[in-house]
Amino acid sequence: MSIIQISHLYHRFADGTQALDDVTLTFNEGEFTVIAGANGSGKTTLLRHINGLLLSESGTVTVCGKSVKSDPFAARQQVGMVFQDADSQIVGETVYDDVAFGPENLSLERQEINQRVNQALAAVDLSGFENKMPHHLSGGEKRRLAIAGVLAMAPRVLMMDEPFSNLDYPATCRVLDYILDFHKNGHTIIITTHDLEKVIAHAQRLVVMVKGCVVKDGMPADVIGGIERYGIRPPCSVQLGQGIRPWVN
Amino acid sequence: MGELTAIGFRPGQSLLHRLDPRTKQALLMGLSVASMWGKLTFLVLCTVVMMLCVNATGLRIRRLIHEIRYFLFFLCFVFGVRAITFTGGWMPTLRADVAGEALTVCWRLLLVVIMGVLLMATTRTADIRAALVWYLKPIPLVDEKMAATMLGLVVRFLPVILFQGAEIADAQRARGIERRKNPLIRLMRFTIPLFRRVFISADELAAAMQARCYSEQRTLPELSFTWRDGLAIGVGVLIFSTVLLP
Repeated sequence: MSIIQISHLYHRFADGTQALDDVTLTFNEGEFTVIAGANGSGKTTLLRHINGLLLSESGTVTVCGKSVKSDPFAARQQVGMVFQDADSQIVGETVYDDVAFGPENLSLERQEINQRVNQALAAVDLSGFENKMPHHLSGGEKRRLAIAGVLAMAPRVLMMDEPFSNLDYPATCRVLDYILDFHKNGHTIIITTHDLEKVIAHAQRLVVMVKGCVVKDGMPADVIGGIERYGIRPPCSVQLGQGIRPWVN
Repeated sequence: MGELTAIGFRPGQSLLHRLDPRTKQALLMGLSVASMWGKLTFLVLCTVVMMLCVNATGLRIRRLIHEIRYFLFFLCFVFGVRAITFTGGWMPTLRADVAGEALTVCWRLLLVVIMGVLLMATTRTADIRAALVWYLKPIPLVDEKMAATMLGLVVRFLPVILFQGAEIADAQRARGIERRKNPLIRLMRFTIPLFRRVFISADELAAAMQARCYSEQRTLPELSFTWRDGLAIGVGVLIFSTVLLP
């Protein structure tokens, strides 16, 4: 069953750059999709359209059958977005405040908010950090906090913009584990990245973007061949002729 | 970066931690007003109570002095300006009665600042914000929720801006900015990238808030006024009434 439908979407920035050029995509419920592309290929712009942060000039985006343009608030409830820079996403003065920010915006009862905060923090192993200040956390902890902030809103779709950027090896492994857990629990996952290595073995679908256009879309094993011509580095295992292999065991 | 925000909420179970934030804000406002007329008895009593509170909240006096060191320099400056007078021939003179008055002014300011530090150390910013909404609500033409959100964002982002400023300054020092003697050029080189980064961060923050369904109709922290608050207000009023004593 499709959960997000994008049809003939165009977006042009004020400086004339064509960020999205006739993008048509459908994402199914429970699917794990990786959107890959070089810098400036339009990945982040696409995510912002799905989340209703940018509204379409031409073309349509629907989430759960509702137009994002006519009801961006509903789209944001269904689609949680984790930004590339966790520092700019964290708005609370303490870890608790930040995770509670989304549920408070939904005007939930305090008891329900507390329950959601506890569940979200437990899901990313940040229980006990409630009274810590976010800017005292490590890079990996901040990324997990950003994920918890989105999880607390109970979205059906989890979108992550370059979730592994600026993370060291252990933090990357942890974030990857959480993403796989969320997928197992039934979340639809959409990840943008220019570095396929870490995540591609777990994805069910790979979309390649170049200069705002979708140039390839299919199962990772079918799409990965010759991907370097689009400015994307193939995983080491593919370069060694061993096919797609998990980054960590 | 921790150094920039050490005066922040410290979890605890002291009496001050358990007071309603509205009570603490009312006591701070009361102290600010009463200290304008406070004499020796008032100041000594307030100092004793304040030191007890500092001790009870687990703040170390040494750390407290370190955190407010710049304010202490400012107080020294205020003392100097008020206490030192110039008689004929540009000779600075220090008279005991004027110095006593200057000392009293500095003492009053110091008490208000310590009370402010105690408020911040024992109250989560979300609670301070909720209390502010409660106080601003009856004032016409003031959007209390917007004001409270702005306060929360300032508290959250001030350390980030200071951190970014420190990073830019370090990066410029690494490229020899100190060799440029013109302070105007140095200021421009520093402020332009800082403002650019601050504006970009503000833009990203706005997007992040929108992405998480930000609206002004939000659930605020629950505030509860208990017997402890009544007692604290009563004791506060008693202490403030000592302004009538010499």
